[in-house]
Parts: sequence; structure tokens; C-alpha cells
Amino acid sequence: MKPFTYLSPKTVEEAIAFHGQHSETAKYIGGGTDVIVKVKEGWMEPDFLISLKKIKEMSELHKNEATGELSIGAMVTHATLEKSLMIQNEYPIVYDAVSNIGSLQVRNVGTIGGNLINAVPSADGAIPLIALDGVAQLHGADGERSSDVKDLFLAPYKTILKPGEILKKITIPPQAPRTGSAYTKFGRRAAMELPLIGIGVLLTVDEDLETCTRARIVLGVAAPTPMRAVDAEKYLIGKKINENVLIEAGKIAADESKVRDSVRGKAWHRKEMIRVHVKRMGLNCLKKIQKIN
Amino acid sequence: MSNFNVVGKRIPKLDAAQKAMGRAAYIQDIKLPQMLYGKILYSKYANANIVKIDTSKAKALAGVHAVLTGEDVPEKMKMGFIKDNPPIKKGRVSCFRDEVAAVAAISPEIAKKALDLIEIEYEELEGIFDPEKAMEKDSPLVHEHLKSNVLKMPWDVHYGDVEKAEKESAFVVEDRFTTTWVTHCCMGTSGAVALFDASENLTIYTNTQIPSLAQKDFLESLKAMGLKNKRVRVIKPIIGGGFGSKLDTYAYEHVAILLAYACRKPVKMVFDRVEEFKATSTRQPTVTYIKQGCDKNGKLTFRDMRMVLDNGGHTSWGATTPSVMLMPISSLYSVKNVKYSAKCVYTNNTYSQAMRGYGNPQATFAIESSMDMLAEKAGIDRIKFRKINQNHAGEETPQGLKITSCGLAECIDAVEKELHFNDNNEKGVGTGLASLIHVGGGARIYGSDGCGAILKMDDYGKVDIFTGGTDMGQGLDNITAQIVAEELGLSAEDINVVHSDTDICPWDVGAHASRSTFVAGNAALGAAKKVKKKIQDFASKLFETPAEEIELKDKMVFVTGNPEKNMPIGKLLRKAHFSPGGTMLMAEHFYDPDNQNMGKELKGNMSMTYSFGAHGAKVKVDEETGKVEVLEYVAAHDVGRAINPLLLEGQVYGGVVMGLGYALTEEVTVKNGEIMNANFRDYKLFTAKDAVKIKAPVIETDDKDGPFGAKGIGEPGCVPTAPAIANAIYNAVGVRIKDLPITPEKVLAALKEKTVKK
Ligand SMILES: Cc1cc2nc3c(=O)[nH]c(=O)nc-3n(C[C@H](O)[C@H](O)[C@H](O)COP(=O)(O)OP(=O)(O)OC[C@H]3O[C@@H](n4cnc5c(N)ncnc54)[C@H](O)[C@@H]3O)c2cc1C
Repeated sequence: MKPFTYLSPKTVEEAIAFHGQHSETAKYIGGGTDVIVKVKEGWMEPDFLISLKKIKEMSELHKNEATGELSIGAMVTHATLEKSLMIQNEYPIVYDAVSNIGSLQVRNVGTIGGNLINAVPSADGAIPLIALDGVAQLHGADGERSSDVKDLFLAPYKTILKPGEILKKITIPPQAPRTGSAYTKFGRRAAMELPLIGIGVLLTVDEDLETCTRARIVLGVAAPTPMRAVDAEKYLIGKKINENVLIEAGKIAADESKVRDSVRGKAWHRKEMIRVHVKRMGLNCLKKIQKIN
Repeated sequence: MSNFNVVGKRIPKLDAAQKAMGRAAYIQDIKLPQMLYGKILYSKYANANIVKIDTSKAKALAGVHAVLTGEDVPEKMKMGFIKDNPPIKKGRVSCFRDEVAAVAAISPEIAKKALDLIEIEYEELEGIFDPEKAMEKDSPLVHEHLKSNVLKMPWDVHYGDVEKAEKESAFVVEDRFTTTWVTHCCMGTSGAVALFDASENLTIYTNTQIPSLAQKDFLESLKAMGLKNKRVRVIKPIIGGGFGSKLDTYAYEHVAILLAYACRKPVKMVFDRVEEFKATSTRQPTVTYIKQGCDKNGKLTFRDMRMVLDNGGHTSWGATTPSVMLMPISSLYSVKNVKYSAKCVYTNNTYSQAMRGYGNPQATFAIESSMDMLAEKAGIDRIKFRKINQNHAGEETPQGLKITSCGLAECIDAVEKELHFNDNNEKGVGTGLASLIHVGGGARIYGSDGCGAILKMDDYGKVDIFTGGTDMGQGLDNITAQIVAEELGLSAEDINVVHSDTDICPWDVGAHASRSTFVAGNAALGAAKKVKKKIQDFASKLFETPAEEIELKDKMVFVTGNPEKNMPIGKLLRKAHFSPGGTMLMAEHFYDPDNQNMGKELKGNMSMTYSFGAHGAKVKVDEETGKVEVLEYVAAHDVGRAINPLLLEGQVYGGVVMGLGYALTEEVTVKNGEIMNANFRDYKLFTAKDAVKIKAPVIETDDKDGPFGAKGIGEPGCVPTAPAIANAIYNAVGVRIKDLPITPEKVLAALKEKTVKK
């Protein structure tokens, strides 16, 4: 492993300044569960690792009760999200996703921001944030800007972030009433498992508790970046949600996906898993909605 | 008989605290003055000619002390039991893990950099990756000088008359099963530190399960290097897992020796995890054709099996696993007529080694899957079918195995009691059973199956026992201590077990074949008995009583029926040392069991005794995804006697979890000879969260030859696991998966095919 200098700025501005000084040879580090692996393997050889851990505001998890907006600091760990009752109750899709990342040890240090910026097609954390219409708040040398989480990803390991730019937080707009959401990943193991396919579904229904007014179907490992199955979403709008409708949505989503054969799994099986789990997660959403309302 | 003080007690591992506190010194922790770091460069191709190697840039790098290629390896320095494999290849590579160069440098980083500077020109050749294709007449050859890809091995045998028995059978089933590569996944990666003293004697610290045989291999290497009449001292650090992986010497050890000699400095070679996956050996992949039949009452009439093993690019002990496969094939359940042939076939894949079960898991997967199929065809309940055919004490099997104690029936009963086989399960839920036989009293693979022990007592009633046996985490230290303590009336903590150094410890064949408790245990017991006799003789004079009336208990020596006549053992030992004409209380014992080498006819009693077991699984199959969940697992074993039930359960739990991985998730993915998943992300070793609750009923049959009645139990835990799961899946959803691992893809594909057929 190539030795590096570890810097611990206390503010976003300081971090960006450090990065500016060492631009080519610096890397941000959150929990380090991706970065350190890469440094150890020699895939990444930074001279400076700029830790974002000491920047207080980046570790805040907060819901504005007046506006209903949720703000998740990029440095919030998976464990923090997993243990939050607010997340468990109001954003079950986030809980479903983060509570099955890696292992307890990985979740204790791995952050939601690192999960997004690492930008692998299998990032569990990305799926719920896309389903919830999350917005990424970015801060760089040129100032602040924002982007929908779904538009963050360009390719595996590649995001729209400019060199030195920091993901500060993700904001989630207020949820419509009668919304249910759920995520599952399909893999061979119960822990330490990147998904063979990840499936997140979010449904909002009308007052009849059946008719779909809004749908999000988001897939991991189904394409080079996390993707929304927009045709399947459209299909659901205005339909009374039941098993058959969800089976059809699952088929459409599977057809939309760009799954491939790989040494980890076969495309045909991944498609099957999309079909089955869109249905299952959809039913799960419906159950959650009907339970509360 | 079972009135024991130390044997049978759940004594935690004696080295548990130092391991838990991080104080145990593994090979990674060893650091010697002036030590250099070695690294190996591996082939870029599965099959290629090496046209040119240029090491000049690597040699010029500051901090590099030596760069070696195949040209620097003495002609006679070869590994493997047929000595076909030099530690660095020259001219031709036959698999991706072939070593092509090695360096020693002042830091691992510089060593790695030097590897990158070695320039090699290859001429890539077409590879052969399918053993069945490699057997065809016009197949290209992996080693041209051998004229065939099929190894010359003796595995072709016929006991009784299979053709006649088949004609007379009422029911016959026939099928093909396959297993794939899996690997040991020891938490401690491989490594060695080699150094020469000024007289050119070698000391090598290495992770090995075979210190005495490794010493011989290293001596041969020295001889090949022109170093005759030198000494080799093998020191074992604490080993982080063996499972058979350390039953041979490897290229990295011989390369460390070459580098240490070239540099005249200690050289350390430690694998990282990727290297551990790519450059250590696997379990043999097999293709098995099985046919077996029974009469109308369900009595087995014959078994006919043919196996093809992927031998990979070179021959290692993996090629001898057919000898152990023969054991379940000829002797799991009573069957008189047995035919068996096995062929090991060179390919350009990785090559295999011993791995827990030594061929038995592959053979048992086919046998026990087929047993269920035959039971179904004959219309007999699968449990009843097994009981009809179960082994019995006193039986001699067609192979000549003499079964002296057999608790198979009790094992099946125990599984039946814990797991209700014929309950009406909910949809998608099913149960499966599979049994096992394994060597439990040594295994005569080599000329000797022996182990030595030297026992000495100090002035304070404590014992040092120097054993040839190896503790690699399985707990031989405890077993040895408990056996010795029991015999000498001491407690386990009084016994210091030393097994780490060939300069100090006597000879042993190695920690393999589940033999250590039985063989090393008997060696320790023999030595303890001799010392006990000396103590009794000494005390007999002291108390003026016949020696037979002297008892040792609770660290005391006393006279039977007259307990006032007593003395602490420590005091007695001091008396022995300090009296005129004093004596030492020590003894040595070499135990070599009275078992037989199979010989050319493949007949003979391999082991003094055999361990049996039955595993039962209850699974739930998700019919929409193909995923299998193990709901309950029962693994019952006839262990003769549980010397330490805690460690025994540990062996069973660990074995079962390993077996479940074998059944469901684990495979080394090999694509055109290249390993594609050399990491724990993609190699699906079971995690703690995947592990299921396992019940492990213990059947004690008190074997007449075992130390306190014990038989070996190191391997059995992972032997019948895969067929138990496969049988449960069939019972649950009616599909039979014949290829390991049983992935969701395979199950779902089979379910879909079944629906189409309907
Ligand atoms: C054993 C193991 C198991 C795992 N299992 C899973 C799993 O099941 N599912 C899953 O999705 N992932 C898994 N991961 C991957 C990893 O843990 C997650 O992606 C984690 O969320 C990464 O967060 P981190 O804080 O550790 O990121 P880091 O490693 O610190 O950073 C990751 C990348 O993001 C950049 N970065 C980090 N924070 C910021 C920021 N605020 N602004 C800009 N750039 C930033 C870094 O420069 C780096 O490029 C696993 C990893 C390991 C080691």
C-alpha cells in the first residue's frame, strides 16, 4: 500500500481548499470502506486523503417538520440511518436498503455519501434515494449546485462531480400521504453481499387506497448505473394496484432493464428476479399503506 | 468405563485466550533480523511457451536482492508426489498459477514493483479446460512428453460381479453428477520464512500440516541445490486453518528457500488474499457416473461408479483422492458387488490438493443422491431404505474395510428424532437425509501411519509433551492434554503440548485423514501409560505396596483402598529426582496403527476403525426465485468417544457450514483456466449470518482401538451435507439438482423445466 497523508478539515470550505492545493493527488474519504480497499489493492494511489469526518454539518440527519423535507448529511453512516426510528417508520425503503449493506462493521463506518459517489451499479443506498426523488447538494470551488440523485451517475465509478466537488447532503422532498416503499436485494448470501440485482418500489395511491397516482421502480445492477424503470412506472399510474397489475409491471421493468450475463449471475435469472421482486415489493408497499390508513 | 475426570469434559481451547487477545504469533507476525521479502510472478496465460524473460530492469531496482527465473531452479528440484512440478517454471506454463519468476527485496512494496519490471514474452497456446474433452484421442496435450492427458493411476477395480448383479436387480438407477472447485478459505493466508545458518543448514518457519514430510521435501530441495548432508528444521507458527491445504509443500516454500540461499538472508513470503485464492489448491472437481441397483426388498445389489477428475496443470495430492472416494463407493451401506474407475485428467486449469473429506464429499454427493432416487424407484421409504442397507459392526466390506464399531443406525435414529421426516410440510418445504463413512482410525496412505510422542514431567507435577501431531486450530492440543491428564490424574492445564518444531518433536505423517485424535492421541496415551507405570513403580517402593494398587488422581498418588497413604505427584517427582540413584520420569512412544496399505488390488483395511454419521436437513425453496433456505440441520456422528464435546461440536458445526457452502454457494469461478472470483466478495463463503442452527447429536460406540474409545471426526462434518440438501430440495419441490453448487439459477431453471414438461 502506498503511504498517504491524512488531512482532517473541519469545514466544507477548508476541505475544498485542501483539495485545491493537492488537486491531482488528493481524494476525499468518508468511511473509507471503498477508498481504503482501493488504496490497499493499488487501484488508487493518492498522496493525500482528505477526511470529511470532522465536518459536523455533513453528519446531520434531520427532518424539517414544518416543510416535511428530510436532509441526510453525506457523512451519515448506514448504521445511523438503520437505527433511526424516523427512517424506519417514514422511509422504510431507506431502512430496507441500508440495513443489509455489508456487515455491522461496514455499516458503522460506511456513509451514504460514499455509497453514492463510489457510483457502482450495485450501490444499495442509491436505489431508495432515487425512488424518493432525492436531490444531491454539491459544493465545489465554484460554489454550490444541486442535482437529482438519479442524474448523479454517468458510468460505473463515474459521477457528475467535478474534481474537488463535495456531496454535502441529500434532501428528500416531503412524502405524499398514502405512500409506501420497499427495497430488497437478491444475492446468494445473507451478509457481505453485493446484490445480484436490487429492486426498490415506491407507490402512492389515491384515497381509495388502490389507484396508483405515483410510482417509482428503481433497479440496481440492471444497467451500468442505477436506473428507473420508467415504462413500468407509467404503466402503473391510474391502475388499481393488485398482484396481476404488479406482475405486468414487473415484466415491463424486466424488459426495460439492461441486465447482462456476468460471472456473478445470468441475465435471464436477473430478469426473473426483477419480475418477482417488483411484484413482491409492490405488494409490500400496498400492505404498508393499507396498514397505516 | 465412562467415569472420567478430564476426558469427556468441555474444556475450552487452551490457546483461545492468546488468540482472542491477538497475542498468537502467526506466520505474518514473524520478523527476523535482516529479513527480505519475497514475491512471485505468475503466468499471464493458461497455456503458453515462454519465449523470453528479461529481468534486468527488476535486478537494477534499488532494494532488490535477487531475481530468479526457471533457469535458476536446479533441474532436480520438483514438487508433487510424482515430482513433475518445478517451483518456478521454465519454457512452458500450463496454468495461470504457474510461477515464472520470483524476487527478494527489502520491502514487500519494492518486491512487488520489481515483479512489474520483469518483461516476459509468451507465445500463447490453445488451452484445454474440460477434462472429458481432454480425454479424447485427438485432444491437444497439456504435457506433450506424457503422450496422454490421462494420468497413470491405478483406480480401476471390480469386487464381486456387477454385471450379474445388475441383471438380477429389481430396480436400477443411473445418473451423472458433477462437483466444482471450492477452496479452503483459511483465515490465515499461506506463508513461510526461510533462512540458512553459516553452515548452510536451513530453518524454515512455515504453515504446514505435515512437518515431518515437509522436512523431507525441503531436504530433497537442498540436495537438488547441491547442499548435501545439511539439516532442515521446520518450525510451525500458529496456523490459521488447514482443512488439507497444508498437506503438501508448495512453490512459495521452495522459492523462499531458493531466495534465502541466493541472498544469504532470511526471506519471508506471505500470500495476500488474492494470491491465496489463485495460487493455492482447491478441492477436485469431479464428473461422476453412477449406477446402482437393489432387489425387490430394497437390498442393494451393486454399485457401479466412474469418475473423471480435473487434474489441472500439474499433479498434486489431489490426484490420489480417488483412493478415499473408493471408501464410500465400496463401503457406505452394505453392497457386495462394486465396480469403480477414476481417471485424473490434465487440463490447463488450476490443480487440486487435499481438502477436508479428501474426495469423500464428491463421491458421497453422487451416492446419497442416487440412494434417494433408487429408494423412490423401488417404492421404499428413503429412511427405511437406508436402514435396510446400513453397515454393521463386524462386517468386512468388499474393499476389505473391517468395521469394528458402527453407530450408523443410531445416527439415523438420532436425526429422525430431531427432524420429522414424514410430517406434512408446507409448500416448498422438504427434508433430506444422507449418511457417511470415513476413516476414523488413521489411514495408511504412506509406508507409515505413525506418530511419536515424548513426555516428560517436571519437578512440580507438570507435563511437557512433545508430539509429532499438528494443531492447526482444530484442537489437537486440547485432545492431547486431556488424554494425558486423564491417564496421569492431572488437569488439562497441567499439560503443555509442544508440536511446533522438528528439532524437538518426534516424527508424524501429518494432520490429515481425521487421524490426529486417534493416532497422535494413541501416541500420547502410550507415552502417558509408560510414565504412569514409572510413577507407580516408584510409589510402590515408597509405600511398600504392589504397583497395581497405586492410583493417580487429583494430582495425587495414593494406594487403592488406603487413601491416607498418599503424596502429591509433584512431591513424588522431586523425590524421584533428588534421591540417590535418581531417575527421570519421561517416556517416548511411537504409535503406528495396524492398518493396511491398499496395494495394487485396491483391497485392504485402510484404517483401524471407521467413523459414521447421518445428516438431516429441512429446507424451504422459494419457487419464484430458486433460493434455498436451510431451516433446520441435524448432524449426528458416531465418534467412538467425545474426548472434548465442545471441540467436537466445533468440528461438526464448522464442517457442516463448510458443507453447506459446498452445497449452496461456494465455487471458484474458472473461465478458460482463469480464476474470476479471487476475493471474498465474489467467492461466496458462508457468513455468520448465513450459518444455520445445527444440532449435533453424538453417538459413542467406544471403539476398542481408539484412545479412550475415540475415533476421528475432523472431516465428516462436511461429507454428506450437499446430498442431504439436494435430497431435501427434491423432497420439497420435486427437482433434483445434480451439479454443485445448487444455486438459485439452477433450481429455478429446473423448476421451469418441470413446469414445461407438465
Ligand atoms: C466488506 C464490504 C461490504 C460491502 N457491502 C456493501 C453492500 O452490501 N452494499 C453496498 O452498496 N456497498 C457495500 N460496500 C461498499 C461500501 O461500504 C459502501 O459503498 C459505503 O457506503 C461507502 O461509504 P464510505 O463512507 O466508506 O466511502 P469511502 O470509501 O470513504 O468513499 C467512497 C468514494 O466516495 C468519495 N466520497 C466519499 N464521500 C464523499 C463526499 N461526501 N463527497 C464527495 N466524494 C465523496 C470518495 O472519494 C470515494 O471515491 C461494502 C464494502 C465492504 C468493504
